Amino acid sequence: MRVNVRKHGLGLFFGLIFLAALVGQGFAGWHQFNNDQVADGLAAISLGNYLTSASFAADVAENWQSEYLQFLLYIVATIWLVQVGSPESKELDEVGLESDEKQKVGAYADAGSPRWAVVGGLRTTVFSWSLTLVMGLIFVISWFAQSFAGWASFNETRLERLQDPITWGSYVLNADFWSRTLQNWQSEFLAVGSMVVLSIYLRQRGSPESKPVGEAHTRTAVEG
Amino acid sequence: MTVRLLAVMVLAAVCCGGCGDRGADAPRTVAMAFEDALVSADGAAACGLLAPDTVKELEQSSGSACAEAVLEQGLPAAKAAEGAEAYGSMAQVRFAEDTVFLAELDDGWRVLAAGCTPAAARFDCTLQGG
Repeated sequence: MRVNVRKHGLGLFFGLIFLAALVGQGFAGWHQFNNDQVADGLAAISLGNYLTSASFAADVAENWQSEYLQFLLYIVATIWLVQVGSPESKELDEVGLESDEKQKVGAYADAGSPRWAVVGGLRTTVFSWSLTLVMGLIFVISWFAQSFAGWASFNETRLERLQDPITWGSYVLNADFWSRTLQNWQSEFLAVGSMVVLSIYLRQRGSPESKPVGEAHTRTAVEG
Repeated sequence: MTVRLLAVMVLAAVCCGGCGDRGADAPRTVAMAFEDALVSADGAAACGLLAPDTVKELEQSSGSACAEAVLEQGLPAAKAAEGAEAYGSMAQVRFAEDTVFLAELDDGWRVLAAGCTPAAARFDCTLQGG
């Protein structure tokens, strides 16, 4: 199967830099982990053992859950919340789930509409929320993965300090879990909020994430 | 969809590898062998199961060879392990009379601390590394 690279450049670009960054994180994290191990008088571990360790899993999952939460909230919040002047917002009078006609659902579907948008009933309802459902599912799975991996990593540290390990239930109420979680959440919320507000007044010529350079600051829901 | 599927697969892979109590049979076996060595007063065997830092600390603090010093510490010689947990390269094995902490080193699981009793912030151990 021949993929037209130019047509899929955006997806391919982010897919590739994701993999490059994950590989880089794996190597950097491995060296950092082994430095700590040697400093504590413990054995260095192989790259393979590090990549399947609780420490690496917790570091990966805690970032994933916050990124998926960020987009989940953004997708859902922009249904009902608007921001005058922002290209990230829809028009002020379009708040809510909108009409079937505007959403091209059921009788208003056109020839190119996906089948599940046409058929009605449960399938159309599920398809109407499928982006939120999938992003939400990945968020929940990632957050659970963070809790289990973070728990194992936290207990490894406690045992090194000659302390009793704690249960998973205690860990999800522990400051370590919430510190790891909230330090990621605050940065994601700041980034999204900044994007919403800065895009009112600032422009990037050629980007669909920005209004056209000459568009008025007061115009909402206009993308370049 | 391909990217999302890839993301879920990678997450599942790292999660399955890294989550939870990883199974404590190996450190439990080493801890029981250590306690057996104490019961039979076999200092050389007990020292062979200690982590290098623990041996070093014991010899420095006692001023004598490990095989001799380890039997003079008044360590409780426990019999049956009541529980064991391992997380990453660390493990704890609990006996009625003792709690033992182990680390996974290049040559396998080794006893890091023994003769441990619960204290306010952490266990207080008769024998432990520096």
